[in-house]
Amino acid sequence: MVTTISLLPGVTLRHIYDNRFRQGCLSLQLLRPMAEKEAAANALIPAVLLRGCRQYRDLRAITLHLDDLYGASVGALVRRIGDWQTTGLYCGFMEDAFAMDGDAILAPMIDFVRQLLTQPLFAEAHVESEKVNLVSTIESHLNDKRAYAMEQLLKKMCQADTFGIPRLGNKEDVKALTADGLRTHWESILRSSPMEIFYVGTAPAQTVAQLLRDALAGIHRDPVILPPQTGFAGGLTGEFTETMEVNQGKLCMGFATPITIRDPGFAAVQMLNMIFGGGMTSKLFTEIRENRSLCYAIGSGCHGTKGILTVSAGIDSSKKDAVVQEILHQLQLCREGEITDAEMEAARQALRTSLQATEDSPGALEGYYATAALSGLNKTPEQYIRAVEAVTKADVMAAARSMALRTTFFLQGVTA
Amino acid sequence: MNYYPQLNETVHRAVLPNGLTVITVSRKGFRKKLAYFAADYGAIHRLFRLSGKEICHPAGIAHYLEHKMFDMPEGEVSEQFARLGAMVNAFTSYDMTAYYFSCTEHFEESLQLLLEFVSTPYFTAESVQKEQGIIGQEIAMSADNPDSKVFENLMGCLYARHRIRETILGTAESIAQITPQILEQCHRAFYRPENMVLCVVGDVDPAAIEAMAAAVLPGQGALGEKCRDWAEEMAALQPYTEQAMDVAMPMFCLGFKCESIGAGAEAARQEILGELAAEALFGESSGLYLKLYEAGLIDSSFGGGFETVDGMAMLIASGDSLDPEAVQEAILQQAQLLAEEGIPEKDLLRMKRSALGRRIRDLDSFDSTCFRLCAYHFLEVDYMEFPQLYQQVESRDIQEFLRRVVTRERCGLSVIVPRDQTEETP
Repeated sequence: MVTTISLLPGVTLRHIYDNRFRQGCLSLQLLRPMAEKEAAANALIPAVLLRGCRQYRDLRAITLHLDDLYGASVGALVRRIGDWQTTGLYCGFMEDAFAMDGDAILAPMIDFVRQLLTQPLFAEAHVESEKVNLVSTIESHLNDKRAYAMEQLLKKMCQADTFGIPRLGNKEDVKALTADGLRTHWESILRSSPMEIFYVGTAPAQTVAQLLRDALAGIHRDPVILPPQTGFAGGLTGEFTETMEVNQGKLCMGFATPITIRDPGFAAVQMLNMIFGGGMTSKLFTEIRENRSLCYAIGSGCHGTKGILTVSAGIDSSKKDAVVQEILHQLQLCREGEITDAEMEAARQALRTSLQATEDSPGALEGYYATAALSGLNKTPEQYIRAVEAVTKADVMAAARSMALRTTFFLQGVTA
Repeated sequence: MNYYPQLNETVHRAVLPNGLTVITVSRKGFRKKLAYFAADYGAIHRLFRLSGKEICHPAGIAHYLEHKMFDMPEGEVSEQFARLGAMVNAFTSYDMTAYYFSCTEHFEESLQLLLEFVSTPYFTAESVQKEQGIIGQEIAMSADNPDSKVFENLMGCLYARHRIRETILGTAESIAQITPQILEQCHRAFYRPENMVLCVVGDVDPAAIEAMAAAVLPGQGALGEKCRDWAEEMAALQPYTEQAMDVAMPMFCLGFKCESIGAGAEAARQEILGELAAEALFGESSGLYLKLYEAGLIDSSFGGGFETVDGMAMLIASGDSLDPEAVQEAILQQAQLLAEEGIPEKDLLRMKRSALGRRIRDLDSFDSTCFRLCAYHFLEVDYMEFPQLYQQVESRDIQEFLRRVVTRERCGLSVIVPRDQTEETP
């Protein structure tokens, strides 16, 4: 169902025809190696592109134009996919069929994107104001204590890995950026970086391809090859604590495995994640929240590109040791095969349901296909479901045994 | 059955003999199915009359009940949903409680389970006691969340009587008073077919759903009669409130009290009017937004709109800002200007086109569609008629709205200021 078309050197369009939705979706991503020296610039660029171009010179002119396109949206898209960082734009827009009086939306939308990409202003004032915004976004990670604690864990655990670099870069690097430097960097990466474009909607592949070829024709493409994705490279081990005036402590634990999303054994790692801490029927949720009332929120997550499994829990700070012990005990049970058939089946069902539902939302389709190919998971949701179906309890035990605790971070609450 | 050509949407509605309303949205060709089973009952409805007697429940009761509904004599119901491959969850808002699941397979079994568990009160002293630890942690987590606090503080600042002053979760003290008997009384009073709606979106058979729903929630005794003892002055209780928390930049939430929109066709029009007024005043395409953004007074975290809850409504704007009071002043001044000068017809048309397009796109989200159909059902409004409503709002309506609502008297400002006390120990 995905049609892949090479538009220009290093520019790939992945097209999905689907007539069930009222909106189409288009994303463009330039692929960069995740690196300290350019992470902040790549994170800042889309926000600056969205501040003005030759024809639409400020925010208001841009928003008025989007209003005319029936409230279409264009947003900054900055992702981290393993060792790569992507920078670009994400557009959502009503299908032409729902517009009044035969108005077109897709074609003017793509032309608008062309102008944003190829005729940016990089005005000094825009760059300075978006720098302030990006710094404040980075600083505001502190507002969500659970996300903050997780970021601190990954920074320490992955100190020797690109995964330790924050997705949006460091705020000192943001502050050092200049309008000229940013423009030069943009012009260079627009020419040289691999570009991934994803579309889902009712326009035929050849129509979308032609609109995009016309839009990108002015760029003199000279693409480079990216370094390949790699597994977890290590960092600091042991336990770290930070104290803050909060009511609830946040506990984060990081485990590593050599099995990544590029390995055939990865479906078993995802099954393990579901059984261990992936939802309301997981071991962590049932044992630590439901049976022992030690927390409200607890769960595990899996970063397949690197082979990292994390656990995060919001707890009463005085109960930390008990919670850590119980988390390790539950993982031990997985290693020893203390997994019921019901747990296996619930995990399989949950993965199958979420993979099947991927095809029912334009945003989920974009999220899946625009990242699957880049992370090295070269499977459609249907193919991936078959891999999940084949996982046995012995596979899950092996996945659990491959997990080693590396780093713990505890945001400890003290009452004012 | 209603077909809405402009939206290409087909909706079945039925009121069953037991009084339950069932709304089914047919989405051919989708695998995902989503079902909401919602009660017209939320956190603010804790004072009510039952068989002539006035009853006042502890704050946080609706949310506590929502948690405890998942207990069944045969165990926690989430596990049974998990076995079917369905994901179940629930939420409690100020004026609604909803239980929902989504699935791609075993839809009938999952729906049966949803209908059963929401119809079955099963509370033991031990499990009610144990829930206090879990909800206690949820309350602690919310107390650390500046996004929740900035809003809750604003409600306390604006409202003198309306129960939106109280948090949905309640407090450690209030939830300590909750017993199985109170939960049962609450369930009996409000989880009744005539006070609920079942809404399903997906490639499903409406008749089969209606048949299953006819067999649940037998009506027994009387329906709780909500005491809406919250008539309010339109003047804000206090103009300003502030709290220090661990945030990087000051956060604000600014509100203007509005009259309740009531129910029925006029409520739907008022809602669209409020939405367009907010858009004209400080929406992304407004002149004010650009001015504030370029002056560095707001950033992309800024947003706002028109919010309604049973018995109240408000215009609200929030975000991060180094100078929230300057944002407040600018909004007050701009409202005065728009109220005097009006909104040019072509600007209004453009705003309507944009708002309409965004609502149409939003129908692609099953969750949003289900939620809106339930919420509008309780307002006695057919949500899918929104395209026609935009034609009923004129420039002078917005002018009049802004003149009436966006005043210093009706305004409250809540700010969370940074507290700088972090330390790291190895």
